[in-house]
Amino acid sequence: MNDPVNWSWRERSQDLGTWLARAVVGGLYVYMGLSKAFQPVEFLKLMRQYGLVETPWVLNLVAATLPWFEVFCGLLLLTGIAVRGAALMSVAMLAPFTVLVWQRALQLQAAGQLPFCAVRFDCGCGAGEVYICAKLAENGLLLMLSLWLVCAPRLRACLWPEPFRR
Amino acid sequence: MSGSAEAVVEPRSSVPAPRLRALLLEAAAIAAMGLTLGLIANRVSPRGLVLSRDYFPPAPVQSRDARALASDDGQMAPGAATAKDRVLVRLAELGLPAVDFAEARALFEDPRHAQELIVFVDARNDAAYTAGHIPGAYQFDRYYPERFFPTVLPVCDTAELVVVYCTGGDCEDSEFAARALLDAGVARERLRVFAAGMDEWRRHGMPIEVGPRGSGDFRTQPP
Repeated sequence: MNDPVNWSWRERSQDLGTWLARAVVGGLYVYMGLSKAFQPVEFLKLMRQYGLVETPWVLNLVAATLPWFEVFCGLLLLTGIAVRGAALMSVAMLAPFTVLVWQRALQLQAAGQLPFCAVRFDCGCGAGEVYICAKLAENGLLLMLSLWLVCAPRLRACLWPEPFRR
Repeated sequence: MSGSAEAVVEPRSSVPAPRLRALLLEAAAIAAMGLTLGLIANRVSPRGLVLSRDYFPPAPVQSRDARALASDDGQMAPGAATAKDRVLVRLAELGLPAVDFAEARALFEDPRHAQELIVFVDARNDAAYTAGHIPGAYQFDRYYPERFFPTVLPVCDTAELVVVYCTGGDCEDSEFAARALLDAGVARERLRVFAAGMDEWRRHGMPIEVGPRGSGDFRTQPP
């Protein structure tokens, strides 16, 4: 099985899928993270709109560190270091954030009396104003890719895929 | 990714417990390292946040005037009022007089503006300010007071009127900037907030100054 010549088409396509998943999720995290990291005040204002955190230092801590954390996770995925752990952190960030974005969109929909998919706002994702349905679809895709990376049968083209595994 | 072809990990699904333990260890290590990296980057960055600062201090106790602007029970129902109404209520809570476009324009064209006895203060960030501000306006991005106070405070201290503005709409930066100036010693009677802000200024085809203050690059957009 370790001889690449003997790899089946299934294994090859799995490897390609895993590599693509790392590239897409990692690349997006680096891009989105950097766009927020260079504008921490704007991100702070957007975080405040969700009304999740009232304590100033907690809000500041999240706004100051989360963008860099995303960049870090993205780089780990791109380079292939601790891939499963980084993908798990991706799931841990994406799942609650998607629920929050969805709830915020429902509030805006109610306030503006709009069709759900016509709701457009800056969710603090790093890409500016987006339509909610497109955002939810994007997050759903990223969640699936992250889950795939957590459970992928094997990891190729990685610098140090599983540092804690013996 | 040198040596990437060799870095192959075969599945070991027969030992799920060690695999799960390794996965959780990885995630915990990433969380710790990511948080540390974030704190260091925030500390080093010139745009970093001061973690201990309250960037959105709560408004003082609501005044009678503000309650009069709000609904009967003193609560403003979200969505029940326009952004302009909400801003006016918040300003009334703070005891800060708001000026509309006509008043802001009159102050801009007042000869005292040229003498810096009437001063406009732009509470937006660098990118928005350099993209176009009210001609002669001083920038005061209140999230970085250490950077702007040395320039803005002396001007505000000697001015008869200080007009603070931001983008308009739901923008709160002009209110918070006015409060910061108030806390820094600028008299309340001399402070005004142009709540409709740059959006309204541009909509009326008023001149804007592009680039830093005093750049001389004045432009007028058709209304």
